[in-house]
Amino acid sequence: MNRPTGNLVRSFLRRSFCTAENIDTNLHTSKLQIFDRQLKRKQRDRAAWLINRKDSLVNTVADNLLDRLEDVKKTFPSALCLGGSLEAIRRSVRGRGGIEKLIMMDSSYDMVKLCKDAEKDYSSDNIETSFMVGDEEFLPIKESSVDLVISCLGLHWTNDLPGAMIQSRLALKPDGLFLAAIFGGETLKELRIACTIAHMEREGGVSPRISPLAQVRDAGNLLTRAGFTLPGVDVDEYQVRYNSALELIEHLRAMGETNALVNRIKFLKRDTALATAAVYESMFAAEDGTIPATFQVIYMTGWREHESQQKAKRRGSATVSFMDIQKEFGGQTS
Amino acid sequence: MVRGSEMVKISKTLTEILVCPLSKQPLRVCDKSSSLISDAIGVSFPIVDGIPCLVPRDGEIVETEDAPSECKADSFDSKNNHKTT
Repeated sequence: MNRPTGNLVRSFLRRSFCTAENIDTNLHTSKLQIFDRQLKRKQRDRAAWLINRKDSLVNTVADNLLDRLEDVKKTFPSALCLGGSLEAIRRSVRGRGGIEKLIMMDSSYDMVKLCKDAEKDYSSDNIETSFMVGDEEFLPIKESSVDLVISCLGLHWTNDLPGAMIQSRLALKPDGLFLAAIFGGETLKELRIACTIAHMEREGGVSPRISPLAQVRDAGNLLTRAGFTLPGVDVDEYQVRYNSALELIEHLRAMGETNALVNRIKFLKRDTALATAAVYESMFAAEDGTIPATFQVIYMTGWREHESQQKAKRRGSATVSFMDIQKEFGGQTS
Repeated sequence: MVRGSEMVKISKTLTEILVCPLSKQPLRVCDKSSSLISDAIGVSFPIVDGIPCLVPRDGEIVETEDAPSECKADSFDSKNNHKTT
């Protein structure tokens, strides 16, 4: 605001050549920027005020994710919870995984503050919580310092997903667990179709309205590329029914999941928006008039390497022939 | 040295594990400006209401001349010793 005029003119000039005003000041200009992280922070600030604690989608995903902690015998005394459905995770922990210390991080200050203020409601479960504002792409955590990293519906907004996962792995102690849920490529497919049709019809072209999302087949590769051992991926699809397409948008807004693409067009014409809602309703509405929306959630688990973990033997190190195995057991199966 | 509300209060858990998000080097607490300072890159990150804000964009470049005088070195290790003096 109070910058000298020279700077202002310069920034104006620069801005006029660039589709995104923040891209020039971004720290990694060489890297591909898909999402506007600063805008996402603002959207999450807003989501902190709109948050719905009874959001069944978010609660189910958080519960499902934490449920995995009960499948392992190991306990995780210190845990780091990355952005996304932070508040839902805090509510769903309920003593699972033997978490004693929980560090909650989000890129939005208001979201962290909300969790901090809500902390007094959970004082009964004896978890020591600490709060910080941080960016998953620049994780400010010392190497080998936590037993568990949880990320619930946050990592699909990172520009550099492998990078963020590598940083999470480094933050983990050896034999530490990485648990993440992200939205997958099938998410909001109905809205994607409706948006495209309405845009073609009203504006004669298409602009990106819905994020590119990771596909299921990418998730396994992501985990191995980030160096996690024993990678595990599974997928769940949820269908949420809304009374109207506008309610869907309101839900997305309350989750902080609205468009944050760098190349987005910054306004949406009213009649295009209404056309989208109309297309959505005519193409996908159920008989009872409700509007279904698909949310595909990819759950990823990975461990930081440790010598106690099982691994495949070296190729060619087998001492028993498969012929012998068949001789030994073949008779029993037939 | 008790400053009441001005005192920077961040939990021990955090001081043990936090590092600079950009350089991954240790941070030190500056009580006076209530911020975390990364000496490696000369950037200070604010602590707002006990919540450290370590998003690179929130950081401010510290002027090198007045940094040592304004913020007494309170590294995490020497913090407790320093307070008793």
